[in-house]
Amino acid sequence: MARALLLRVARYPPLPTSLVLSHSQPRLLPLPPLRRHAPSPHRFVPLALPASSVSTSSDAPSDGGGGRKGGEDDAGTGTGGCVDYLGMSDEELMEQCEMGTFKASGPGGQHRNKRESAVRLKHRPTGIIAQAVEDRSQHMNRASALSRLRTLIALKVRRPINLEDYTPPVELLQILPLKSTVRGKDVGPQIGPNNSKFSPGMQALLDLLFAVEGSVSDAAKLLGLSTGALSRLILSDDSLRTAANELRALKGLKPLR
Amino acid sequence: MATLSLSSRPLTFLRPNRTKPPLHRLLRHKPLASSSASALTPPTPRADPSPTPDPDPTPLFLRSASHPVPAAALASFRRRAAALVPPSAPHLHRHLRWLLVDAAADPSSDPALLRAPLDDLEAMWTRHVRERRPFQYVVGNEHWRDLVVAVREGVLIPRPETEAVVDMIRKVEGFADGWWADLGTGSGAIAVAVARELGHEGRVFAVDVSEVAVEVATLNVQRYGVQGKVEIRHGSWFEPLEDVKGKLMGVISNPPYIPTDDLPGLQPEVGWHEPKLALDGGKEGLEHLLHLCEGLSSVLKPGGFFVFETNGNKQSEFLVDLISTKWNSSFHNVEAVLDFAEIKRFVTGYRR
Repeated sequence: MARALLLRVARYPPLPTSLVLSHSQPRLLPLPPLRRHAPSPHRFVPLALPASSVSTSSDAPSDGGGGRKGGEDDAGTGTGGCVDYLGMSDEELMEQCEMGTFKASGPGGQHRNKRESAVRLKHRPTGIIAQAVEDRSQHMNRASALSRLRTLIALKVRRPINLEDYTPPVELLQILPLKSTVRGKDVGPQIGPNNSKFSPGMQALLDLLFAVEGSVSDAAKLLGLSTGALSRLILSDDSLRTAANELRALKGLKPLR
Repeated sequence: MATLSLSSRPLTFLRPNRTKPPLHRLLRHKPLASSSASALTPPTPRADPSPTPDPDPTPLFLRSASHPVPAAALASFRRRAAALVPPSAPHLHRHLRWLLVDAAADPSSDPALLRAPLDDLEAMWTRHVRERRPFQYVVGNEHWRDLVVAVREGVLIPRPETEAVVDMIRKVEGFADGWWADLGTGSGAIAVAVARELGHEGRVFAVDVSEVAVEVATLNVQRYGVQGKVEIRHGSWFEPLEDVKGKLMGVISNPPYIPTDDLPGLQPEVGWHEPKLALDGGKEGLEHLLHLCEGLSSVLKPGGFFVFETNGNKQSEFLVDLISTKWNSSFHNVEAVLDFAEIKRFVTGYRR
């Protein structure tokens, strides 16, 4: 029996115990009322990514560098919407991903010399696909793909919020300009789009914007900002602007410029 | 159409005892544009797979950019080189782009300053496409983790699977100030990557029996400025570690593990060009892995960690089973660990 324990197979990276909880959690909870929209598969293809993550390889596969929706799952209707994916560590997030490119590649290891460093991650719970091809090391491409995945999750996965009793989460406060009246002094300096902590804030902002049916002025009130100040924040990042405008378009609102 | 002219540059060698290659071997390259048929499926493996010695052992990407070439000549090289790429091998276009990145100080300037005469580049490219000489040997490096590791003929090109080893040992309690051994260090990739994460007291003993490996690992250690943390030792497996017996926090190894019988079927880039010494694992591929397992308990301190890369599922399962039965009194938490392709690629465990 002791041997049976010793013989267990670990996975790289090792499965953190906390992940088991977050995996099973959504299945145990009743589905939240669906106020989220289900993005159609093509909508996010031309998504503009932050400049730092745009693929520069000219031989990238057709969906290279960007992200698109996977076929079988759907971020908007699945059980995953209420999970805080962006709060997970890289390893936990990686655990939920398939690295599709390398599935059927033979024995690998010393057998193979293929400078095939492209990494394509499919996030199983949401079906979101992120990939990176521009670097020559797989390690670096995995890191880029993972950070791209975080951005895509922030942009696509909408979580329901309760407007009756809304207090902005700290990750959202962190991306707000200092003049916000709901932003305490202890929140620290404003985090910009190039910081990896921008994604969780962006996700929370889009969640709010979705809950207020795309109205920037309503969202601005809840965030202690002027409508103009919140507009400027949204326009400061291409991918955030695109996602916000798509969300507004669904509600028949004009795009922010 | 093009006949390749030999460089008039004197042939220089780092290792004085190496004999000069006969000149006719350097002339073997076929003219570039003669034929583009089936470059990826050479009809027969050559009987003598020993690689042509490179006239300059300094990796291409580290040579000085001292060969001015007019932009038009470089562009025409680019076209000729691209024309050699068969449709079945689109990745070679990527290699061509990387070759120019590595071979030129600024490929867009006119004249461009190259790190080798254009004729040499042309010959290198031909050898890559036709003789399946690994691209990493052409440019002299492999991008591995966040490193650019210098490589040349005679050392194994580090593989992406092996990148995970560094993350595994980083999680070991007391990692940063421990003493580690990288057995069969080859290019020194693992040793350098580990050393860069170590604390003040941490050390890596990088061991290799191959003189070329010792040279290349020394170069990589110097390039990353980790001489203070990595000690390179020439010798076989545990032999040069007598003085640190029982003191090691961990042992890392990516030993040769391919079964001898499988060597003839290897991809040409590997089988024809990479060192047998680093690939051939003997019968069942287990010869060196078993030797490593046997020596482990005498070098590791209690609680010490080990990770070995293996040929995959069967080998890993066999080793986990063996260690946790035969040496159950010495080791615990022995397990097989999956690589990114979900193959049981590694065996890890702890000394009791």
